Amino acid sequence: MDAVVPAAIPDRKRSSGLAVVFEQELRDLWVGGRGLALSLAFSVLLSVIAYLVATNTALNFLEQRESVNLTLQVAVAVGALLALLTGADAVSGERERGTLESLLVTPVGRVDVAVAKLLSAFSLWIAAFAITVPYVWFLGRGVGITGVALAAGLVVGTLLAVFLASLGIIVSILSTSNRVSLSVSLFALLALFAPTQLPSSAQQGWAGELLLRVNPITAGEHYIGKIVVSAHVWSEDASWLISPIVAAVVCAVLAPALGARFIRLRGGVSR
Amino acid sequence: MTPAVELEGIGKEYGSLVAVRDLTLSVAPGEVLGVLGPNGAGKTTAIRILTTILEPSRGRFAVAGIPHTRPTEIRRRIGVLPESAGYPERQTGEEYLTFHGRLYGHTRAGARAMAHKLLDEMGLHERRRSLIASYSRGMRQRLGIARALVNDPAVVFLDEPTLGLDPAGQRQVLEHVRRIATERGATVLLSTHLLTEVEDNCSRVVILNRGRVVAEGTVAEVARRAAAPRSGRVRVAPEHVERAAVALAAARDVVEVTSNGQPGSLGVVFRSTETSADVALNGAVRALLDSDVALVSFELEGARLSDAFLAMTEAT
Repeated sequence: MDAVVPAAIPDRKRSSGLAVVFEQELRDLWVGGRGLALSLAFSVLLSVIAYLVATNTALNFLEQRESVNLTLQVAVAVGALLALLTGADAVSGERERGTLESLLVTPVGRVDVAVAKLLSAFSLWIAAFAITVPYVWFLGRGVGITGVALAAGLVVGTLLAVFLASLGIIVSILSTSNRVSLSVSLFALLALFAPTQLPSSAQQGWAGELLLRVNPITAGEHYIGKIVVSAHVWSEDASWLISPIVAAVVCAVLAPALGARFIRLRGGVSR
Repeated sequence: MTPAVELEGIGKEYGSLVAVRDLTLSVAPGEVLGVLGPNGAGKTTAIRILTTILEPSRGRFAVAGIPHTRPTEIRRRIGVLPESAGYPERQTGEEYLTFHGRLYGHTRAGARAMAHKLLDEMGLHERRRSLIASYSRGMRQRLGIARALVNDPAVVFLDEPTLGLDPAGQRQVLEHVRRIATERGATVLLSTHLLTEVEDNCSRVVILNRGRVVAEGTVAEVARRAAAPRSGRVRVAPEHVERAAVALAAARDVVEVTSNGQPGSLGVVFRSTETSADVALNGAVRALLDSDVALVSFELEGARLSDAFLAMTEAT
């Protein structure tokens, strides 16, 4: 067995740890099959929603703008959910599969590992949005809202996907098992969606509006509604984007920061 | 010469549980060090500290001359086969090694060339494009060893590399361990439960028990220092058994002579001292010959690493 002596590698040709892990994460997600299966399920769900709103619109039960809004809101919510679930499996799943230690003994930094996993989870939202485009185009044709609806969906969906993917990663880093990670993430998502199910009367008044505004998901969905249904201009309701922006930024910074310290073989925060 | 691995006063606690205490050790370059110990002795914790997976609660260490305060640099110079390592089932062996090669900074082409060479060395070249899910446990362990070598490491840590393998698989893995040391010149720390692995492959051995080093040295030194009780089995002509028993009982350093019921066979227990193995054996054989006993065989038991291991891990 001859010793394999690595040749000197020019810096510009060296593989960046972040890029290599990200590429592998993407490959595992999309070539491994989970990404494609989730995207297929997403497109089936969106097809059903689009069919229902289209028939309701044809029967004049639903305004065309409202059908676009409803479809877009479902797409944003479910797309962000997919990012959350992928993030929630990212670290705790590797711990349980026994593949994390092999990654941690390489020179790649734990911040790079966390960022690569975050970007990979986020890629599911990109796919979900790409799937959403033809549905929104079909439902919104003729009233000139396709472009603005897609732009609003992209902005809000991206913010929520970053927020939820980061939240999933954080929960995954700190959880003691993958089951705990997935359960906590789903519970957090249900808690965030709960205000959308409140009766309209409960959403009125300063307390109701505050509840909608501080919750990134309800605030984001509300903003989409204002743009698509009420035909408001971008800046008119921009304040509704504050909580999605804050949540996305805080969680996207927190996930790598916690990763640097807590991506370890054992979950939890104790040393 | 700078030691390949050096630990000084390393300790690790999980709450009130002490996993490793006051571990002080030095391993020379090119050495194959066997790390022995019962379950929970602290072997895996010690290896995880040295591979920078865990931070020690106290003490300091250096690997390949790099102090523990520079963990990323240490990780560039080591190769690790973790205990019960998992493998991505949906990757091929080639993809897996190429990925890990790139993590160490190799270009895609360079990493792939490295992967091919290592797969060839590990006897996995024909299966390089098969999914890891289809690999046997022995193949996965060899793939894990190949992964530990992608950066041409100065120090290789192998944690239970033969765990769960059949004898043929164990032999193959151990052959690769030997070659890592002899042909690559790397230092190897081999943690194992199989004492024969250590006797056959390691230049030195350290025995851990309850987080402490209880013995350290060459296999022969540790076995001798253990002062494990030694015994022997004597076979003589069946008509000489009684005479042999009397002669042995009177011999120097013989504590007890027993009969196991088999014709012409006797058991002998020697006094347990550090240096008496050969002397005791010679004395017993001489006593038999002086008594005109027809000696068929005299097999000395004990003084093996297994005796030392049991003596040291049961005594503390």
